[in-house]
Amino acid sequence: MRLKFLSIYGAMSARQLLRHRVAVLLLLIIPTLFCTIIVLITPDRVIVFELPTVGDSVVQLENERDETIVFIGCAAVCLLTAFFALHLVQKQWQADRRLMVAGYKSSELLTAKLCVLGGLIVSMSLYVSALVSLFLVPQNYWSTVAGFVSGGFVYGCYGLLVGSLVRRELEGVLCVVLLSNIDASWLQNPIIYAAAEKKEIIRLLPGFYPVQATMMGAFTNHSVLETVICSMVYGSAFLAIVLLVYAWRMRIR
Amino acid sequence: MKEMMRDTLLQVRGVSHAYGKHRVLSDVTFGVHRGQVVGIIGENGSGKSTLLKIIVGWLRPDRGEVVTEGRMGYCPQDLLLYERLTVGEHIRLFAAAYGINGKNPSPAEDLLGVFQFQQCEGKRVSELSGGMQQRLNLSLAVLHSPHLLILDEPCSGLDYGSYRRFWQYAQEAREAGRSLLIVSHLAYERSQFDVLYTIEDGSLQCA
Repeated sequence: MRLKFLSIYGAMSARQLLRHRVAVLLLLIIPTLFCTIIVLITPDRVIVFELPTVGDSVVQLENERDETIVFIGCAAVCLLTAFFALHLVQKQWQADRRLMVAGYKSSELLTAKLCVLGGLIVSMSLYVSALVSLFLVPQNYWSTVAGFVSGGFVYGCYGLLVGSLVRRELEGVLCVVLLSNIDASWLQNPIIYAAAEKKEIIRLLPGFYPVQATMMGAFTNHSVLETVICSMVYGSAFLAIVLLVYAWRMRIR
Repeated sequence: MKEMMRDTLLQVRGVSHAYGKHRVLSDVTFGVHRGQVVGIIGENGSGKSTLLKIIVGWLRPDRGEVVTEGRMGYCPQDLLLYERLTVGEHIRLFAAAYGINGKNPSPAEDLLGVFQFQQCEGKRVSELSGGMQQRLNLSLAVLHSPHLLILDEPCSGLDYGSYRRFWQYAQEAREAGRSLLIVSHLAYERSQFDVLYTIEDGSLQCA
């Protein structure tokens, strides 16, 4: 692994990403829009929800609007990082292979992409945390940030996986939209979870630990460490498959 | 024999390849020696690009072997460029890969002159015309003055001036002892080649 190669390719990848001006603008607008819509349509009332990672019997009483703002913030981080991760890997992989003929290694290209993705996840998480803080005061600000980061990591790795496996853009986008919409934007909502019958299915989905960590950070004083570690393990499983598929697709003699 | 091996930059021996049941290459054998310009012509779908992909290592042959010597440059048929990076950024990215030091390495400066890029060094690929994109595609393969330059349809999309400059560059490279392997579906400049092969139904024959 050569640092010079990593830094040059990483810088070029970041520039390419930032030059999608409309996409970068949407990165800022979408979470704001989500939160604004929630504030406008969600009633200001007390609701009941469960946080199974805190304990099966623990039931939270919170303001529905606050709960939904935090949840939708996490969903926005998951959705957007998955999209950008997909784009990082799926686009121009043939040009990347040409770079490998010139002298780069696939491990250097993928590591540089991961660094760019890491920067994006942290930036997005800090931005959404700041945005959420405009509407409510989280119990533990940095635990909430950690929850968002873990969501970005799991869904970022999922985006990389889809980008490695699916060659066509439309199919890739559909894979990202399908899972992030059903999982991170719907089933993982603790209000839905509380009323669900087959809860074990929801627990198996990638958004489970990140949403739990975010909710714990925003509404409880419990440590999110264990939940964040579970998220990282889940994301790392995606990443391990990405490493294999990427190395296989990019191999040269 | 040793002298001959030193002068051989590319040796393709008994290469065969099939996509599923469709055989694309059958027992292809040829070599490229130092200072030679070798051409391979064939119709669309005759296996030319597959052969080049095997030579540069993108594909593994089902049978046979490929031996290369010295620095190799490869210009693919498709424009494999990053549409949101500028010409200058492409040159820096590839210069680093080739191990050319410095922000403005001299071969890159030469290239900017030979292929007349000075005006568009700061332009993104998406802002370039098709011909300019093809010039950049070509330039990235020759940035490090390769001993063997492998070109897949290098003249498609070039205007007449660039086409002439390309052949001028090829002659200069040959005089400097470098070799070119050019694959095309047309061969207008037969006199420029030292050896010309045709590829038909996956088999290579001297033209």
